[in-house]
Amino acid sequence: MADKPNTETVPAPTPEQEVRRLYEEAESRVAKATERIVARDSFGELLAMVTENAVAVTRIGNEAMDLVLRNLRVASRQDINRLTRALGRTEDKLEQVLQEVERLRDELDADASSNGTTSRRASGSGSSRSGSGGTTRRRTTRRSSSS
Amino acid sequence: MTPFERLARTPIAALEFANTLLTVPDAEIGTTPREAVWTHRNTTLWRYRSTNRQYPVPVLLVFALINRPDIFDLRRGNSFVEFLLGEGYDVFLLDWGVPGESDSDQGLDFFVCDEIPSGIRETLRASGQDEVSVLGWCIGGTLSLMHCGLDPDTPVRNLLLLTTPVDTSGSLYFNWTARDSFDVDHVADVYGSVPGRQIDWANKLMKPVTNYWTTYRRLWQQIYEGEGDFKPDAYQAMAKWVADNPPFPGQAYREWITFMYKENRLVRDRMRIRGKRVDLGNVDQNVLVVTAGADHIAPRQGTLPLLDMVGSEDVTHFDRPGGHIGLMAGSRARREIWPDLAEWLGERSDR
Repeated sequence: MADKPNTETVPAPTPEQEVRRLYEEAESRVAKATERIVARDSFGELLAMVTENAVAVTRIGNEAMDLVLRNLRVASRQDINRLTRALGRTEDKLEQVLQEVERLRDELDADASSNGTTSRRASGSGSSRSGSGGTTRRRTTRRSSSS
Repeated sequence: MTPFERLARTPIAALEFANTLLTVPDAEIGTTPREAVWTHRNTTLWRYRSTNRQYPVPVLLVFALINRPDIFDLRRGNSFVEFLLGEGYDVFLLDWGVPGESDSDQGLDFFVCDEIPSGIRETLRASGQDEVSVLGWCIGGTLSLMHCGLDPDTPVRNLLLLTTPVDTSGSLYFNWTARDSFDVDHVADVYGSVPGRQIDWANKLMKPVTNYWTTYRRLWQQIYEGEGDFKPDAYQAMAKWVADNPPFPGQAYREWITFMYKENRLVRDRMRIRGKRVDLGNVDQNVLVVTAGADHIAPRQGTLPLLDMVGSEDVTHFDRPGGHIGLMAGSRARREIWPDLAEWLGERSDR
């Protein structure tokens, strides 16, 4: 006896489901087509040109705005950037000094412990290297954002 | 739903859809309690304390220079930081902050030779340990790799690299930026720090229909079919993170595009930072490389050469389905990739 085709387990899709399937298929095809387009060399060239033009327009706008502000005797973005960079350089130097101080402090602590004595800093209230479960020592040299 | 119910549902769903999109900035991300351990310039080293600490070696997370590292701690119940804390790790995060125009002189060397070593040093000081595990994601992985390649004595015990670009040839970015007509110097000089919006726009342009249409169409479908049960948290957290694009420091951008794309130096063994060669043969840490099958930003084939280039004798490779970000932050990450990372790390983080 021949098997009956099993038509009961797969219900026919409703018109709405069919429309959705067709739409999603079309969307997927369009997505793949656009991905192929953006991967083309010619698109890369186009993008490079668009970027160059956008950058050029930005530069013209920035320069014009800076000129206006300078003529008004107001600090322009360039002036502020120059100042911020100077502050940044100062912070870098401060950071180097702090690192050196910490290194020397560690050396002193190591010397003290190797001599069998306990330095006042290590046993007292001064900051020291924290243990694995100890408190975290915080050192901030410039703007600290909050969590 | 009857046709009448469907008709009545449409304006309600439209309101819900608009509300979901308009309140994206109010979504709470990065909510795990943390404290600042160290700051320098824009960089902050955050510490997340575990109440269940089981492994002595702390984990330092390093993210890319584009987008914010909040993706590590996206939202309660779907946070990699929260997961690591639960597994018993002391977790630190190196946050590059939001650079301004005045930071345009920060090159790759600033991050590789100054900030990462300082972050590692301060992590060790804060945790009281001698070694650290570094987990780098995307550009953060490449920067961490360069650090290990430059400094053979670095106290990094385990190096985990997630979707990390190494050989960029064959990627779409390579096609766009390696060509002569893309003048990276012009872009970096004029902008100072390249606006994050532009970088985000370029990222989205790689899959324009998916990013500009399908995402919203799917959201609408979820809301419409959810019949009031739709929870916007997951969508909003991810949308907020995606829209938060800090500028890319100009010098770092120039060097990233030139060194990694135009000249593809890392895989050619010609990467030099501050005059010193980045020798991947120096990378003798336990290395875990994770690639994503559908990664269009750092395609898998661009990471695989790394497996043969590092000097380590312990190299593991996980290749998983998913995209560049979805691999670690998608809804399945908690079940599919995080436990494997924790297991790999756990075997190498004992005393």
